[in-house]
Amino acid sequence: MSAFQEPFFTRGPSPLARLTFFTLIAIAIMIADHRFQALSFARMGIGAVLNPIEQALMVPGHAFSRSVAYFSDQDRLLSENRELNQKILALAAESQQSRLILAEKSYIDALGQAHPRFAGNGLIAEVIRDARNPYARKIIINKGMAHGVTAGLAVIASDGVVGQVTAVGVASSEVTLSTEKDQAVPVMVVRNGLRAIAVGSGRDGTIDVPSLPLGSDIQIGDQVVTSGIDGTYPPGLAVAVISQVEKNPAFPFARIMAQPVAAVAHQRFVKVMLKDPAQIYPRPDVGLDDKKPTRDITITSKSSAQNANAARRDQRRGTP
Amino acid sequence: MRTLPEGISAVAPHKPGTMDLSPASRDPMRLPAPFSLISIVIMAALLLDLLPWDGVALITHPDFVLLALLYWAVHEPHTVGQGWGFALGLIMDVADSALLGQHAMVYVVAIFLAQLLRVRMLQLSVAEQALHIIAILAVSQGIGVLLNLAMGRDFPGFSILISLALGALLWPIINAFATIPRLRRRSSRVIS
Repeated sequence: MSAFQEPFFTRGPSPLARLTFFTLIAIAIMIADHRFQALSFARMGIGAVLNPIEQALMVPGHAFSRSVAYFSDQDRLLSENRELNQKILALAAESQQSRLILAEKSYIDALGQAHPRFAGNGLIAEVIRDARNPYARKIIINKGMAHGVTAGLAVIASDGVVGQVTAVGVASSEVTLSTEKDQAVPVMVVRNGLRAIAVGSGRDGTIDVPSLPLGSDIQIGDQVVTSGIDGTYPPGLAVAVISQVEKNPAFPFARIMAQPVAAVAHQRFVKVMLKDPAQIYPRPDVGLDDKKPTRDITITSKSSAQNANAARRDQRRGTP
Repeated sequence: MRTLPEGISAVAPHKPGTMDLSPASRDPMRLPAPFSLISIVIMAALLLDLLPWDGVALITHPDFVLLALLYWAVHEPHTVGQGWGFALGLIMDVADSALLGQHAMVYVVAIFLAQLLRVRMLQLSVAEQALHIIAILAVSQGIGVLLNLAMGRDFPGFSILISLALGALLWPIINAFATIPRLRRRSSRVIS
């Protein structure tokens, strides 16, 4: 343990060689993570070690805020209680109604042999904190793989869609908010059923509705809900209210902006919508190998081949 | 400035104005840092970074892990190098839910710059070293911003520059924390 034991000459590759080596590996990892999402296991492993430490580090802050809040809580709870009671009364009638509608709907579903795509059950999760990343709009919730959360599940709050689970840890997961840039939700306009895609703008918590032609019937104040056609978000959840519609004939598409209904960044509790594997929306039976339709007409005799050709010609002409 | 012959510096008392450019250069008034001290400082920095930073503090807080790594890359180049930066960068990527490899790349570049500048920095006062640290932090911050912009994210605003200044202010503090336990005491010479 003295200064004289350390190697006199530097050995091994030069700093520049090391820099090149590590930078190349880092770039490879970034590509693997960004393009192929190939490293979720490494992420989960490191996260499993870090999460308990992070939890422990949050204890002092929580204790402090709790002791401060103790004295103001009494008043706040009373007023909150009053508000909640009023809300319950207001919602009671609607809930009775919705129960009736649900019963009717399940009857209709059974009649039409439609797949009820979503298990009604969700998982209530508490929001632990915002992600420590100034570039991304993400939150961390306290339910993870151990509770059955998988990447891709929809996350909602009492008033509407919050976002989607994008990374899963052992006992926590990361939810990308619907206001995050390029985070897309398939939606429809309540008033007329017009389908569109709501994409987070990344600017001050607003949502864009791109790719709607100028002539489409959409107005300021329109309610936008999930359409459910992607199989990720259950249909009918409130997403946003249209706040700005700009139809400039110079562009093929209208410029439409919306405000999210749920206060996506200020939730304490959220609900992760679990999928029942038995009731997953059936995907079209197209595997990777089936991209090219194989010709399964085996020509056994000349006559059958001619018949097939004739049938194809007819189809082309549009004659029966 | 005159230079001492290589090898002598390790035993010669430190004189102001002498300069030793050999890679083994070290302040002879200090004990070499034990591995425990190195890891304790880096662990403490990691814990500080894992605090639930939020809002303005999230953008403006200095990167403690990077500062600790830079300190040891300057003072213990044979122990802490770019490999440490890479490993801790991956950990920070998971902690900050960033793209894997992003912090790793930033840390490796920063440590490379520290390795280039370390012999020069060791001749200067701590305040002057802090100016070098601002430059290193600025380059690494720039790389981080560029990586995020390349992924289509938005620029978080110029308040991220505050973190550079705070990092420079932290440099003397981290120096004190990591240096004071290593000052050679009279009694220790008698014992050893």
